[in-house]
Amino acid sequence: MSERIPVWIDTDAGVDDAMALLAAGRLDKLDIRGISAVAGNVEVSHTFDNARKVCRLMGREDIPVYRGAERPLMKPLNTAPLVHGVDGLGGAELPPSEAPVLTLPAWDALYAAAQAAEGELQVAAIGPLTNLAIAFGKYPRLKKLLKRIVIMGGAAKGGNVTPAAEFNIYGDPHAAQAVFKSGVPVVMCGLDVTLQVYFVREEIREIGRHDTPVCRFIEESTKLVLAFSERVGSQPGMCLHDSCPILFLTHPQLFSGQEAGVYVETRGAITEGKTVTDLWSDKQFPEKNAFVVLGADAPAIKKLVCGLLESY
Amino acid sequence: MKKPIPVILDGDPGHDDAIAWMLAKASPELDIRAVTSAAGNQTIEKTTYNARRVCALLGISAPIAMGCPGPLLADPITAGNIHGQTGLDGPKLPEPTRELSSLTAVELMAKTLQESAESVTIIATGPQTNVASLLLAHPELKEKIGRISIMGGGIATGNWTPAAEFNILADPEAADIVFSSGVLVQMCGLDVTERALVFPEDFQRIRAVGNQVAGVVSEWLEFFYKFHRSIGYAGAPVHDPCAVASLLCPELFTMQDLYVAVETGGEYCRGMTVGDLHGRTGHAPNVRCVLDVDRQGFVDLLVRAVRAYDGWEVRV
Repeated sequence: MSERIPVWIDTDAGVDDAMALLAAGRLDKLDIRGISAVAGNVEVSHTFDNARKVCRLMGREDIPVYRGAERPLMKPLNTAPLVHGVDGLGGAELPPSEAPVLTLPAWDALYAAAQAAEGELQVAAIGPLTNLAIAFGKYPRLKKLLKRIVIMGGAAKGGNVTPAAEFNIYGDPHAAQAVFKSGVPVVMCGLDVTLQVYFVREEIREIGRHDTPVCRFIEESTKLVLAFSERVGSQPGMCLHDSCPILFLTHPQLFSGQEAGVYVETRGAITEGKTVTDLWSDKQFPEKNAFVVLGADAPAIKKLVCGLLESY
Repeated sequence: MKKPIPVILDGDPGHDDAIAWMLAKASPELDIRAVTSAAGNQTIEKTTYNARRVCALLGISAPIAMGCPGPLLADPITAGNIHGQTGLDGPKLPEPTRELSSLTAVELMAKTLQESAESVTIIATGPQTNVASLLLAHPELKEKIGRISIMGGGIATGNWTPAAEFNILADPEAADIVFSSGVLVQMCGLDVTERALVFPEDFQRIRAVGNQVAGVVSEWLEFFYKFHRSIGYAGAPVHDPCAVASLLCPELFTMQDLYVAVETGGEYCRGMTVGDLHGRTGHAPNVRCVLDVDRQGFVDLLVRAVRAYDGWEVRV
């Protein structure tokens, strides 16, 4: 077997975050060194709890879970209870974690993990980027220690929370800008790709037919988001937003994209939180700081995720 | 044949403005009632002189008025790198034959609207400064405007900055006023205009038409192409004629009605036309976004247009 990829997952565990974590737990190539929770889809008290519960569901209570930022760097917290439920898991019940509660803050734990991985650690960041920005502030050297940051966030074209901005970036645009400016190579799995990969109701039901705790949880937790998507979503199902960056780590061949300069608008009246790319403009940013994922083999990705979820 | 649509040509010529006007004058479907210059590709003095020279070349006899000297609030920018020092570098052109109107652009636009029995379409191929000033000074005339067909903006991308297209960036406040005016805006942004590519073999077809205007237009295209080739284009993206062609031959274009607003703030996004692709704002569409073109049909239209000048020749 080829070498495993040391990875840190930063999440605002949420419904599609939970699915992504469950998928990650069955990807043998991933060596999950830690998980940090951040406020986003719901408050950090919930996302921390949820990440711990999902680790128990995975049978992986050995993965340390740390608590991160309670609020974005410079703006009030904007959650999405209509999509994720008040608790963040769409109201699905999971048994509480039995792992000891870790009190080390997320940024300290991430830095320690990065040092231990000696330049090989990659971060999959699937929520607002507050924890990473705080970590870069406290530990400037972290920028040299991280190999790559693969995010779910942003969009080269369009948005979901506003016409120009995607939820995770809009949630903390200043933190996102700090990440894009960090010098660490960023892979951006934004709406350009994540809107292409979604489960419709029948596909979720199919997963639920496997009468395992994980598959039952998937069916239960996704009810709200499915109903929301069918009502007001731009796609007729539940997008696998957060699974995309996880799978990009292990199966990059299923994705396509392009190097680009990407920066975040933090001062716009109607474009706050837009990830501005120079993919299609005459004017180019001086540097290509990101790889923008634009295409995906959606059927293959969905099949892969189904297989991983059903393997528990 | 249907009665021709009265139009006002407002632009900052500019090679592609001039080609847009060539197309408009060649088309019996349009009746040019007034021409107004805008500051943009070059200073207002240069674009006004160019507007008068282009009208002399094409035989446009409508009154011509000088536009606002610069943007409403923004610091002026020009595009001398693309259009040259004169704003219309390239072939020699006739000197103006008609006096400039003593009216301002906004006065001439208002007079034209007031005097017209039918609604008038404004074709604005430069920054929106004059049109915005008209809408502010004469809200009562909005109902006389059929639509405002503009070249500007882009839903997917910018050109002058990664997020903003030149005409909108040059006067974002004016564009905001126009987009939120309630008058239908038909927007040919970079989405379509960068697909309206004219290739060297197309210039040859135009040149081969053989009349004076054909010769000048093919040289303008060549000039325009040289710059764009240097930054990686396979042809010349002839932006402004799309604003005329999409009125004349809507069947050649793909359009989508969207709510579009203009960013006037922002560190990176000032001048961006933000399209509400997923209906997030709840606002009704205010803009007919032109997003794609049948390129071959568009080139054929240009070739037919230059043929209309057979037998027309002015002294240069």
